[in-house]
Amino acid sequence: MKKKERIKFLFVGPGVLWVLAFTIFPLLFSLRLSFFHSRLGGPQKFIWLGNFGRAFADYRFWSVLWVTIFFVIVDVALTVLIGLVLALLVSRPLRKPLKGQRVIRAFFTMPLFTAPIALGYLGLTIFHEEIGAINTVIKALGFINLPAWFSDPWLARFAISIVDVWQWTPFCFLVILAGLQSLPDEIYESAALDTSSGWDVFRHLTLPLIGPVLFTVTILRMVETFKLLEIPFSMTSGGPGMATQTYSYYIYLTGLRNFNAGYASALAYILLAIMLIISIFFFKRLRQIYE
Amino acid sequence: MIAKKKWSVGTAVIWIIIVGAICWALFPFYWAIITSFKSPGVILTKPSFIPWLQFKPTLFNWHNEYISRGREITLALLNSLIIAGGASLVAVSLGTMAGYGLARFRFHRWKNKDMTLWFLSQRFLPPMATAIPFFLFMKTFHLLDTRWALIMTNATFTMPFAVLIMRDVFKELPLELEESAWVDGASRFTSFLRIALPLAAPALAVSAVLCFAFSWNEFLFALILTYKKAQPVTVIIAGVEHTQGVQFWFVATRLLAAILPPAILVLTVQRYIVRGLTFGAVKG
Repeated sequence: MKKKERIKFLFVGPGVLWVLAFTIFPLLFSLRLSFFHSRLGGPQKFIWLGNFGRAFADYRFWSVLWVTIFFVIVDVALTVLIGLVLALLVSRPLRKPLKGQRVIRAFFTMPLFTAPIALGYLGLTIFHEEIGAINTVIKALGFINLPAWFSDPWLARFAISIVDVWQWTPFCFLVILAGLQSLPDEIYESAALDTSSGWDVFRHLTLPLIGPVLFTVTILRMVETFKLLEIPFSMTSGGPGMATQTYSYYIYLTGLRNFNAGYASALAYILLAIMLIISIFFFKRLRQIYE
Repeated sequence: MIAKKKWSVGTAVIWIIIVGAICWALFPFYWAIITSFKSPGVILTKPSFIPWLQFKPTLFNWHNEYISRGREITLALLNSLIIAGGASLVAVSLGTMAGYGLARFRFHRWKNKDMTLWFLSQRFLPPMATAIPFFLFMKTFHLLDTRWALIMTNATFTMPFAVLIMRDVFKELPLELEESAWVDGASRFTSFLRIALPLAAPALAVSAVLCFAFSWNEFLFALILTYKKAQPVTVIIAGVEHTQGVQFWFVATRLLAAILPPAILVLTVQRYIVRGLTFGAVKG
C-alpha cells in the first residue's frame, strides 16, 4: 500500500519539476533584476523601486499601455461577437447540426494555427498601399483616395486589428459552437411551445446558458491579446511612430534591443500583475470545474 | 428560428453568410499562394487575383528560393521540424504522465486542482517576463543558437496543453479496466502503459499536434535565442525585409512554408481541440 502511494509522485514529478525549473527560476531572476539598474553585460546597481517609478513617468509606457488596451477591447469584442453570431447560425436551429458542419469547422481551424509572425508579413502584402490586395480592389472600384494603411495611425491600428480578428474569430466560433451543442435539446423543445420568437429564445434561454462559455472565451482572448507582439512586429514595426507599438513589443525593445534588462523586467512584472488581475476570476471558475 | 420548411429565404441568407465567412477565412491563404506564383514584375506593376486570366503563373520564386538559394530555407525548415518535434515529444510524454497522475491519484499537501491550475497558469505568463533570464541562462550554458534551447523553452510553454487534455481524458476512462489488470498482478505503471494510454490515443494525438503547432509558430524566443545555425522558419521570414523594402515574392514562398505545416496538421484532428484550447473549461 505504501509503495503504491509513492508511485504517484513518479507520475507527476517529472512534469512538475520540468516546468518549475523553467519558470520559477527565470521569474525569480527577473524579479530581482527589476529592482536593479542593470544593463545586459554591464554593472548592476540596486535602486529599490526605481524602475517601477520610471515606468509611471515614462510617456512611452503610457502610450504602449494605451495601444495594448485599445487592441484588447476592439479585438476581443469583435472576435467574440462575430464568433457568437457565426456559431448561432451554424448550429441552427440550435438542435440539429447543420450539414457539412465538420468541413466548415475544419476550414475555420486553419487561421487559428497560422504563425502570427508570418501572418504579419502576409498582412503587409495584403494592406500594402500601392500593390496590396485591398487597395487593388478599392482602386478597381473607382476610388481615387486610397487608404494609407501604414502611414495613418488609426488605419494602421485598424489593419492590425483586422488581421488579429481574422486569426482569432475561429477560436471564439469553435468554442461557442461547442458550448451551444452541449446544451440539451429538450429545453428548446419546451421553449418552442412558449414562444416563436428566435430573439426571445436567444435572450432568455441561450444567452444565460452559454454565459460561462462566453466568459471563458473572453478571458482567454483578453490574456492572449495582452501578449500581442508578433503581428505589429512584422506588419508595422510598431509604426507609424509608436502608433501600433504594443506593451510586449516595448518590453522586447527595452530589454533585448536597448539591453536595459532591469527596466524591462519591471515592465514585464507590471504586465504580469495586469494578467493576474484579469485571470483571477477565470481561475475561480476553473477551480470549480477541476473539482 | 425553428426550421419547418426545408428551404426558405432565411436558410439561403444563412448559407450566404457562411460561405462568405469561409471565403474570408481562406482568402489570405489564397493571396499568399497566388503571390508566390507571380513574377516580381507582375507583383510590382499589375496587382491581380486570378491566375492564367490576369497573369501567367510561374515557378520562378519557388525555384529561386528552394533551389538557387536553397540551403537557408531548408535548414530553417529542418530546424523547425526538430524543435517542434522535440518540444512536442517532451511536453507530451511528461504532460501525459502528469495528466494521468492528476486524474488517478489524490495529492494532499499540494492538492490536485491547485497543481492543475498551476500548470495552466504557465499559459498566462507573459513570455517577456522570462525572456531575459532565459537569454542569460542559455548564454551561460553555451546553449545560444542551439535547437536544445528552443526545445526546452517550447516544451515548457506547451506542456500545460498536454497535461490539461490528458488529465481530462483519463478522468473519463473507467477505472475498472485498470483495476482488473491490477488483480492479474500488473503494476500501476503497466496498466497505465498497456490499458489507459492506448484508450487515450486520440487525445494523445491532439496534444501532440497542439504542442507541435504552438512550438512551430513560436517566434519571440526563437528570435532571442538563435541567430544563425538553429534559426527556425518563423525567424528567417523576419530576415526577408531587406533594404529594398519588402520583396513580396520571397515573403510569400517563405511564409507559406511557415504557415502550411501546422495548418494542415490540425485538419487531421478535430476532436478535443476546443477542450484543449480552453484547458477543459469547455467540453467539445
